[in-house]
Amino acid sequence: MWQKSKPYLLLLPAIGTIVLLFFGGLFDGLLKSLGYFPAIGETGFELTAYTELFRSSAFWESLSLTVRVAALSSLISAVMGAAIAVSLFMLNESAKSRNTQLWHRMFQLPLTIPHLVGGYIIVLLFMQSGFMSKIFANFGWIGEIQEFPVLVNDPFGWGIILTYAWKEAPFVSLMIYPVLSRIHRSWRDVSRVYGAGNWSFIREIVLPAILPAWTIAAFIVFVFTFSAFEVPFLLGVTYPSMLPVYSYQLYTSGTLADRPEALAVNIVLAALTILLGLVVYYFSKRWNVMKGWD
Amino acid sequence: MNKKPFLLKTTLFILLFIIIGLPFIPLVLSSLSFGWQWPHILPESFSFRAWEYVLFGSSGTWQAVWMSLLIAFTVTAVNILLAIPAAIALVRHQLRAKWLWEAILFAPIVIPPFVAVMGIHLTFLRLGLTETIWGVVLAHISPTLPYVVRAIIISYSTLSVDWENQARMLGAGPVSRFYYVVLPHLLPGIAAGASLSVLISLSQYLITFIIGSGQVVTLPILLFPFISGGDPAVASAYSLLFAGIAIVTLTVMDTALKKYYQNKKTAIEKG
Repeated sequence: MWQKSKPYLLLLPAIGTIVLLFFGGLFDGLLKSLGYFPAIGETGFELTAYTELFRSSAFWESLSLTVRVAALSSLISAVMGAAIAVSLFMLNESAKSRNTQLWHRMFQLPLTIPHLVGGYIIVLLFMQSGFMSKIFANFGWIGEIQEFPVLVNDPFGWGIILTYAWKEAPFVSLMIYPVLSRIHRSWRDVSRVYGAGNWSFIREIVLPAILPAWTIAAFIVFVFTFSAFEVPFLLGVTYPSMLPVYSYQLYTSGTLADRPEALAVNIVLAALTILLGLVVYYFSKRWNVMKGWD
Repeated sequence: MNKKPFLLKTTLFILLFIIIGLPFIPLVLSSLSFGWQWPHILPESFSFRAWEYVLFGSSGTWQAVWMSLLIAFTVTAVNILLAIPAAIALVRHQLRAKWLWEAILFAPIVIPPFVAVMGIHLTFLRLGLTETIWGVVLAHISPTLPYVVRAIIISYSTLSVDWENQARMLGAGPVSRFYYVVLPHLLPGIAAGASLSVLISLSQYLITFIIGSGQVVTLPILLFPFISGGDPAVASAYSLLFAGIAIVTLTVMDTALKKYYQNKKTAIEKG
């Protein structure tokens, strides 16, 4: 009996905590989004919050902004991350130096920077009177502050995209690098024997090898950006705002009537992320990304 | 010696500088500036005014640092205690519906935790957990626990059963097997998980704000009003301090782990 139930007992504390704090919270939110709130005497279920939400143009604009920002962030960070990982790999191949460890650390620096700080760094760099604009002015590329494009607190979301591209590129390279390091030295030698140069080695061997991990990493960045709050709150505009910020605006707008709607936004957000998460899970299992090959 | 590594190194260095170095320059300059008009690349005059204010002038800074670290380490300690048994169960035991347990444990990685926190907010309010450190600690668990579990699982699955069996054959009971065989092997995983947990907890803004209602002042809460339109010099100094604390904490944890292994190694060599 003990042998049978032991593993479940070992799991119980962690599972219990997550169920209580996390799923409890989701369920609590779901009930309140449906208007069920016994503390203020509401015990009926209704879908008004959802129908209101789907009818408002603010919600749809917010959703399209969220998708756009998440897609561009993941794309840019994927390209940058792959460039970092491949160059670290090539350096390692050619030099075999102890310094590579140090390089790794340095490239991971943006990962350890808190999101709010990352956002503020982008503000200082890219606002109209920011560092970039000052550099451009000194080169004579622009003459007035207004000639520098609005990249921070802009309706398109460039500031948010830049922050995530910068912060998540090291994450992507961190996901790719273990796969790269499994490419045996002998493969490089064999490819050389057959006359492959650096570039065709990358194209024919490195790229196909990293493709699964690369796609998954980009997708994780997508899901993460999709539901992030801090950076869009700092670098976005009030309207349209990304979904988490939109929900927060509704939640703190003061009237209790808007709260079910805020919670409805959250439930929609949760449903979308679950869907995206399932897609990531399916492909990562299918491509065996986490295990690789031996 | 030969040209290629040199070329690669130079390219890499430039890449490194643009990606890592350049973004920090305006942050450092701005924290030391005393008026910085467009289009000057350097501030007109420098002063330590902002740093003096941040480090000595406002008593709130060190309280917020202490509060942030207290919350982060409490959360992490709880996480480790919860995660080790869960990882053992998931790696070593045959479980029915294993996918379900994994899905439950890893769900907060995918579903944004603030959704759950906003949902549970009013319940916390009724239980008197809002505006308290404990409430914030509880709220920080779901975004961090999955990463700790994952790190320990990865670490555990590289430990062959043979080692544990061998210890069993030599007469080690479950407790000493865990303490002398499993735990030392898990330490890197625990350390990696703990680092992630500390890092994630340190940088939470929204969750702390909702549950703490502005009364539990951690560094991000203190920082936000400054970076969203306050004094740029003070905002920059606070940002650097915040980033510095995150990096120092992680480095200290990393060094402590390395030291532990070095001591072990020399102990074995001597013995």
